[in-house]
Amino acid sequence: MKTRFRGASKYETAICAAISIFVFLCLWELAVRTTAVGLFISSPITVIGKTLRSIVEPLGTHTIQGHVLWSLSRVAVGFVVGSVAGVVVGVLMGWYRIFEAIVRPLFEVIRPIPPIAWIPLAILWFGLGESSKYFLIFLAVFSNVTMNAYSGARAVDQTLVGAAKMLGANNRQVFTSIVLPSCVPQIFAGLQIGLGSGWATVVAAEMVRSSEGVGWVITKGQDLNNPLQILVGIVGIGVIGYILAVLMRAIEAKLCVWSERGK
Amino acid sequence: MAVSDNMDREIKVKVDHMTKRFGDLLVLDDISFNVKKGEFLCIVGPTGCGKTTFLNCITKLYEPTSGEILLNNEPVNLKKHNVSYIFQEYSTMSWLTVEENIAFGLKMKKRPQEEINLAVAEMLEVVGLTDYKDYYPAELSTSMLQRVVIARAFATKPELLLMDEPYGQLDIDLRFKLEDELLKLWRATGTTVIFITHNIEEAVYLSENILILTNKPTSIKEYMKNELPWPRNVVSPEFVKVRNRVTELIKWW
Repeated sequence: MKTRFRGASKYETAICAAISIFVFLCLWELAVRTTAVGLFISSPITVIGKTLRSIVEPLGTHTIQGHVLWSLSRVAVGFVVGSVAGVVVGVLMGWYRIFEAIVRPLFEVIRPIPPIAWIPLAILWFGLGESSKYFLIFLAVFSNVTMNAYSGARAVDQTLVGAAKMLGANNRQVFTSIVLPSCVPQIFAGLQIGLGSGWATVVAAEMVRSSEGVGWVITKGQDLNNPLQILVGIVGIGVIGYILAVLMRAIEAKLCVWSERGK
Repeated sequence: MAVSDNMDREIKVKVDHMTKRFGDLLVLDDISFNVKKGEFLCIVGPTGCGKTTFLNCITKLYEPTSGEILLNNEPVNLKKHNVSYIFQEYSTMSWLTVEENIAFGLKMKKRPQEEINLAVAEMLEVVGLTDYKDYYPAELSTSMLQRVVIARAFATKPELLLMDEPYGQLDIDLRFKLEDELLKLWRATGTTVIFITHNIEEAVYLSENILILTNKPTSIKEYMKNELPWPRNVVSPEFVKVRNRVTELIKWW
């Protein structure tokens, strides 16, 4: 499997991951206790303790899981809309030459602009509320999903298209039974990158203006001159980002049995 | 049985003075021949002699520059005529199981589910993949993949089956096995087969008739009846005689 190194079982991989995280935390703890690093950063034990405590003691108006849920709900909206739009635009662009000729130049100009560069415009257009955050996350998800769906649709095996036509498929059937299913792995890669990018963008959007969410936890930590709260926010962002990636991979493994199995 | 006398079978495919040019390049030069219903015709010729161009003209991928190809006495129309094409590449849909792959053509043609189930079960049985029906292509060996492709083509009960060096990349042992399977399917279904190969032994083993093509610009070198009795034995003196004759015809221009 692509995520594992050759010869290692799932079990061994998990153990290696646990060891590497544990060693990192030990080194961090050691550095804080024995060197000047301790003046700038709290020890991992303190950070983990504070993170766990914030499950019951609110940071601002919400507990840490409250903030996480706020951020996740924003990502969810942008992700769903962005993915649907991205798959549609990407596959159409990859399969239909005319659509590609019209849409691709526009897309290529917009794609390299990082979502956070849109923040000022988003606020001018949509105000400081939720809509501007949805918009930014939408952009982050959309460009990644579109790009991957596009390359997937372009890479469709022409031999299969020929075989399907020979077996009696009309153009619509070629699209639904050959083009779409053969793009699924690339679409999933796009959804994974899109979700990661959407999660990163929600933090940026919340740092600019919001009163809850993991991004707020960090900026508020800076305002309060409280590095510990910043670290708690960062830990939350990292852990949730990791969980999202694992979830996406699990869903992909479930839906793409054919491309995972036997490899 | 399809092997019996050729003479009184009706004409399935009529290739009439077909010429194909790509710009100034003359690829096919005035080719005419007939294929009878249920016939197994092998086309052999040197590599790059336009064998594939010829098939592509039948399937309407290219229009012939002049002349025409008739199927059942009418111009080929893939919407109406049931023509199947097996390539050298293993064109299985990797996201479908063996069973779903074989059912693909019938599904596209919107046949009733009952008919699909019956046809697929029968094909699975003939190519010996019943136990593997729920496997995905990534889990199968090369020979199994090619069997899936062949079963998929036969499942739609094509009136004409075109095969373009389907066993070109297989090792000898596997080729023999699949050739026998193909003959079995051909006899069972009575399908008309045009089989392109550059392997002379394969052509002599499979065919009722052999069409030998010249180098480019391609024309017909010789149309040869292959009357070797079945089952054929590739090392029997009669077989070797026919094989040598075809070899000579290909060698001397």
